[in-house]
Amino acid sequence: MAQPQVISVAPDAALILAWQAGDEQAAAELVGRHARPLARFLAGAGAPEADVDDLVQETFIRAFRSVDRFRGQCQFRTWLLTIGGNVLKDFGRRAARRKVLPLDEGVRDWAGDPHEHAEASEAEALLAKCLKELPRLQREVFLLRAQQGLEYEEIAAALATTPGAARVHYHHAVKRLKEIVK
Amino acid sequence: MNGDERLEHLAKRLGNAAAARLDVEATARKVVARLREQPARRASWIQPAWLRIAAALVIMVGGAVVASRLTPGHRPGVSPHAAHLVADDLNDLSADELRDVLTSFDELINNDSVAVPEGSTDLRELDAQQLRAVLRSLEG
Repeated sequence: MAQPQVISVAPDAALILAWQAGDEQAAAELVGRHARPLARFLAGAGAPEADVDDLVQETFIRAFRSVDRFRGQCQFRTWLLTIGGNVLKDFGRRAARRKVLPLDEGVRDWAGDPHEHAEASEAEALLAKCLKELPRLQREVFLLRAQQGLEYEEIAAALATTPGAARVHYHHAVKRLKEIVK
Repeated sequence: MNGDERLEHLAKRLGNAAAARLDVEATARKVVARLREQPARRASWIQPAWLRIAAALVIMVGGAVVASRLTPGHRPGVSPHAAHLVADDLNDLSADELRDVLTSFDELINNDSVAVPEGSTDLRELDAQQLRAVLRSLEG
């Protein structure tokens, strides 16, 4: 009788150790695991879609180069998302200096019912626009909670705040966003 | 669907298109290639940069000190520029502060041309108004 195949998945911590020992494949594996959630986070936080790929790369480069500072206070992905937030902030500063305006986010391709998608796209674009107007901490807490589904304890550890403060930021963000996205 | 649920539903969809478009394998290859190409670039760049900045500062400060010592008319302990700055706000100075400024002027011009009001022999005997008058006469 054939035994079911057991696929062992190395935890992030093991891959980080392997990368620190010089294993490039471990770094590639970490990118494979976390690149899409990171791209969602960056796009949700206001990154122009044309730049998401570059910003994802830059975030991983920074993370791998400073991985010695990751103490396991939160999940690797959460830590990565906070680095992504910093990368995006720096990108915004550079763009402001060059006076380059981000491209319109409404240009997206969808599959399925055009009417339904047009409506959803409109609300999504409105939410993205409103998110940009929130203070950075509120925006990041909202995305980490509502988009990435993280617990307040995890968010607090990543952003060096308390779970109570993270909860307050989230509720402020929701209150402001609900007024607009009705 | 209430407001909270709708908001969370929208938030979960946010950025999906960008994520779907991302070529994860290509991104992983690019990241690994960049890490391989520039493994310690940052560390090796920052140190010489700070050294250059420190060297430039030392040269600038040293140059300024040498230049100030070589400037004709430079006298240790006397700052004509400071006296000028003080004289811009004479009304804000107390009698003691005015005396200090006058003493500096005194040293500067060796008491040759200070217009001390008639009947006075010592700056310490002057009141604030008289001291201001003396300083204004020096400004001119």
